[in-house]
Amino acid sequence: MELTGLNADQAPPISAPLRFFLTAPLFAIFAGFLIFISDASVLTSRFAPESIAIAHALTIGFLGFVMLGAMTQMLPVLAGVKIYKVKFITTFAHTLLVVGLISMVFGLYFSKQTLNSLALISLSIGFLSILFPMLFALRKVENRSPSVKAITVSLSFAIAVVLMGADLLSAYATGSFSDYHSIIANVHSVWGVFGFAGVLIIGVAFQVLPMFYVAPRFKQFCKRKVVILISVGLILWLVFNLFVPQIAYLAKIWVALFFWAFATTVWLKLNNRRRPISDVTVWYWRASTIFMTLGLFSWVFNSMINDQHIVVVSIVIGGGFILSIMMGMLYKIVPFLVWFHLNAKGYMNIPTMNEMIDKRSAKIQFVFFILSLIGFTLSYFEPSFLEYSAFLFIISMTILEYNIINPVLIYLRTIKTKPDFDMSAFTMESK
Amino acid sequence: MSSIKEYLTNDHRRCDELFAAMEDAANTSLESAREMTQSFIDASEHHFQMEERVMFAEFEQKTGMTEGPTAMMRHEHMQMRNLMKQMMEALEVNNKDKFFGFSETLMILMQQHNMKEEQMLYTMAQQHLSAESERIIEMMDSMITE
Repeated sequence: MELTGLNADQAPPISAPLRFFLTAPLFAIFAGFLIFISDASVLTSRFAPESIAIAHALTIGFLGFVMLGAMTQMLPVLAGVKIYKVKFITTFAHTLLVVGLISMVFGLYFSKQTLNSLALISLSIGFLSILFPMLFALRKVENRSPSVKAITVSLSFAIAVVLMGADLLSAYATGSFSDYHSIIANVHSVWGVFGFAGVLIIGVAFQVLPMFYVAPRFKQFCKRKVVILISVGLILWLVFNLFVPQIAYLAKIWVALFFWAFATTVWLKLNNRRRPISDVTVWYWRASTIFMTLGLFSWVFNSMINDQHIVVVSIVIGGGFILSIMMGMLYKIVPFLVWFHLNAKGYMNIPTMNEMIDKRSAKIQFVFFILSLIGFTLSYFEPSFLEYSAFLFIISMTILEYNIINPVLIYLRTIKTKPDFDMSAFTMESK
Repeated sequence: MSSIKEYLTNDHRRCDELFAAMEDAANTSLESAREMTQSFIDASEHHFQMEERVMFAEFEQKTGMTEGPTAMMRHEHMQMRNLMKQMMEALEVNNKDKFFGFSETLMILMQQHNMKEEQMLYTMAQQHLSAESERIIEMMDSMITE
């Protein structure tokens, strides 16, 4: 068994996860601006290049970045493994992903084939250059806990999603669309949301909820089987879409059922948690379970009306379920990382986690976010709401960036001073 | 008889329960949380010593690894002891914000630490010390906190 995760010197440098975390809200703000300047009628179509551009500014730019950052930090803790040359790989992948995503968004939004080609290359290499080393690192784990298994499954789906995404993007780069384009798009999006993000969230929740909130543990059945059952549903979604699209909704119901069960379980576990505190992260968990439930039901019912409201379903699931959880996590992980790294460097007199992020400003950010989400949902039916909602969203993401940059500034300010264990402070002054 | 891994993992959960009870009391008033805070700190100290004086010592002797994972875990114990001390100081001056700031930091540090132990170190200890696990658990069980 590898024990590098237990060695402070080999824990990932603080810059590895932080570069992803700090970039994420910036892409969300960018997406907010694009929504603000877009025509509401265009965005109601899922296949409009503008919609795809905005969706990816959020899914890759926010969700993808937060998940990659979190995994660089979590693999050593949850699995005891170290990513090979983590500093180099995270810097390399991050740079390519930023360049690739900006190219993709502009390429799609303004129909520029050259930018789409650049995006295709940068995003593919960027993603694969970090996903494969993570998957490779996990191979060495001997004690494969349910969380480790879930992360492995999630990374495998992520790789498939990236490959499908590359194929889809190549159509925009070359201008030739295959007959399978919309089928691949269907599988790409569902696997991205439920396979990559959803399974990762479930795997992490097995550990995080009982431990951080002192909530009841998940049942063994849940921990052992739910990821497999969801994976079967997702593979059926692929098979049905390819060969018997008329019954693809069955796979959808299957996947939705298990995520709904998960949402309900999380809600109940939060109710029964022993830790009384209710901070913004608990609010985000709660919001996430509500939106997940609403989103899943509307996703299934939407099948009965020919999938005509898929955009609004995506807002509820992507924004309400996944974005919420990611933001809740950022509020815990960023100040902790700062505290942890400063402490490891010998600084003892550090602001506490609660002093690093202003609680009130985190709550204001939450309220703005939820209002923007409700606004986006309504603006699907009443387009005049769109600009206001985009504005609320931009404000919320700007506050988020401010909230998580604050601890990082504290970090930078502190390391300019001497660590507290510097014994010169204890030398007697001669009078 | 349970395994070393089960025994120590259950003790983690016991400390978690005490931590939750402590925060619950502190939510009402810091004055009323004094006793709960002390029981949490005592339980944690007992847990640290069961590891440091018994299990880690046996593990280090058996494997010869003194600078490896156990050294890292000892270091984290020290970090946690420090936070507990700061929590007590906040309690003395009746500063609720500080108290919860430290308890929040401690909670995350503690859980991250517990995950590493439960996922890796205890499993390793179980592999290396399985023959003596009964004796080691008995020693931990009867140990008196110094």
